[in-house]
Amino acid sequence: MSVCRPARCLFTKAAATTLPKATPQRCFQTSAIRQARKRRPHYPSIKADDLKLLNEAAEAEYPKYDTSETTLLAKRYTPSQIAAIQAAESAIDTRDVVTQGQQRTDPWMLPYEDDLAEVDPVIDKRPRLGPDDVPGKKSYRLANEVERDESIARIANETLAKMYPDGIPEGQTDAAQEQQFQDAIEAALSQATLDPRATYTSKNPAVLEALADSRHNAVQPDLPRLENRMARQTRQLSTEEEEDPRQKRLLQYLGWDKKKLRSIRVKTLVSHSVTNQTRMGKIRSLYYLTIAGNQDGLLGVGEGKSVEPDEGRKQSIMSAIRNMKPVPRYENRTIYGDLEVKVGATKVQLFSRPPGFGLRTQHLIFELARAAGLQDLAARTPRSRNKMNVIKATWEALTSQKLPDEIARARGKKMVDVRKVYYGGSVH
Amino acid sequence: MSLVNLAHVCSHLQNASKARLGLTSIPVSMLHVKLALGLQQEGFLSSVTLGGSTPPTPFLLQAQPDPEELDAMAQKLKDRPWLAYPAEDITEDGVENVTEKLLGKEQVHEVRVPKNPARRRLWLGLKYWQNEPVLKNMKLVSKPTRRIWLTSDDLGKITRTRESSYVKGLTHPGECMFLTTQRGILEARECVERRVGGMALCRVWG
Repeated sequence: MSVCRPARCLFTKAAATTLPKATPQRCFQTSAIRQARKRRPHYPSIKADDLKLLNEAAEAEYPKYDTSETTLLAKRYTPSQIAAIQAAESAIDTRDVVTQGQQRTDPWMLPYEDDLAEVDPVIDKRPRLGPDDVPGKKSYRLANEVERDESIARIANETLAKMYPDGIPEGQTDAAQEQQFQDAIEAALSQATLDPRATYTSKNPAVLEALADSRHNAVQPDLPRLENRMARQTRQLSTEEEEDPRQKRLLQYLGWDKKKLRSIRVKTLVSHSVTNQTRMGKIRSLYYLTIAGNQDGLLGVGEGKSVEPDEGRKQSIMSAIRNMKPVPRYENRTIYGDLEVKVGATKVQLFSRPPGFGLRTQHLIFELARAAGLQDLAARTPRSRNKMNVIKATWEALTSQKLPDEIARARGKKMVDVRKVYYGGSVH
Repeated sequence: MSLVNLAHVCSHLQNASKARLGLTSIPVSMLHVKLALGLQQEGFLSSVTLGGSTPPTPFLLQAQPDPEELDAMAQKLKDRPWLAYPAEDITEDGVENVTEKLLGKEQVHEVRVPKNPARRRLWLGLKYWQNEPVLKNMKLVSKPTRRIWLTSDDLGKITRTRESSYVKGLTHPGECMFLTTQRGILEARECVERRVGGMALCRVWG
């Protein structure tokens, strides 16, 4: 022990013998242990006067049931239910309700204020029953045909009785009612055929009931359709969808439907602000460059510029889709031979590569190749790497490829893809 | 064999195709003539004509046989196809050309070539397809200061788009390379076929 350690430590240890023993701790340093800060209470101490006021407010807001109210309750609830209600009310301190309780008004508030008479499938736990809840012998077997038909008839009758509590409509019925009745019979019969009570039979009726009881089911039931205000407001049907006039014009231009348009892969690759200097001052607007491709040999590049960011972006997307041009692909994976295109000070070199090579290119060319549906490609940008020019040069290179058939026609020579014709596509 | 002149020819052909010229001329040398014929065989050029300082008459402006004569000849050939084979008949006067007598005289367009070799030019017809030149790029492989000789093994690799002996493969679609070999000026693929090597001259692609 170090000399500098105060003797107080020794005494404190000795004094604490009456307390329960702490878990054995190793001391990792010789310096004095600092006492922890004094614990603050979980609840702020309230003065007696304030407490009195609070009690009064709570009493006034949430008064105890008087006798007239208990008699009214007794008319509706059984004594056990009343006892449960009283127990629940006594469990909640009214003073807490006054100080902390507040009514929620937000749209996401849960419907808490109910009499708990029904099981809410969202909030409440599902009532479940186990094998111990089935009385008697728990044995069942496959039903034979006679038993099966009998039980189907019985179950269908039960279902129909639930559908028509006032009895089956008789006498004069119009065609619509008749049709409805026929549909109900069909539905009841098909439901009864699928019912496990029709497939199995048992001497113990409780076992049969358990087969049909959803509380015995291991499968969680489906959640009900949400019918609150928020869901209703945010729901949007396809007919109510707002039609973008620009998109409508684009669809007319392309002769496509919306589904096809949705399959186009669109990505904005460049965005920056540009300024127009006028004599009135600077006008800032945003520039966007977007690529669009169907990942199957169509590729487009579009530009858009507007003071409104969203407007400019949409402009660029629309023009990219409108500008889509076919990209010839060798074996649907790579380009035909090497390409080189120069735009401004930017030079882009694209090289075709064997299967499985991948897209080993810089990110802009990668995005373009992916949108066009190319899989094997290498590229170099030996000079300037201006983003806009790289994209434009790559697009131009990919869309203006010379095809071997064209070269053969131009030269008046026969050209053969040796890889395909002589080696069956297995040589690279 | 001057590669400097060949370099000039290469750049001139590139420029001419950029300017969309239909006919252009280059200085005459054995190398240029053979290379031009090789290019024509590969389909890069439409015509190779030896001429003077004025361009030769284009085919459409040359004197054409009478259409009626042509029809008569076609009918004769249809009836007696064997007349197409050249035949000669030896008579007392000498050798008589039977084909000419039966089918009419062949019209051969004569181009005036200057006697002075220095004034001769080689006229090349350039080709275009769908508004694009067929021959767009023509680059030297060997340089005047650094000749490159390639074996047939090297050429095998090069024609299969791989690099060999510091010469890049023929990776552009429809690219050709011409070499001067013991068997004359040949295309790289022909060299591989015949298993001959040689000095690389230039590479051509559209």
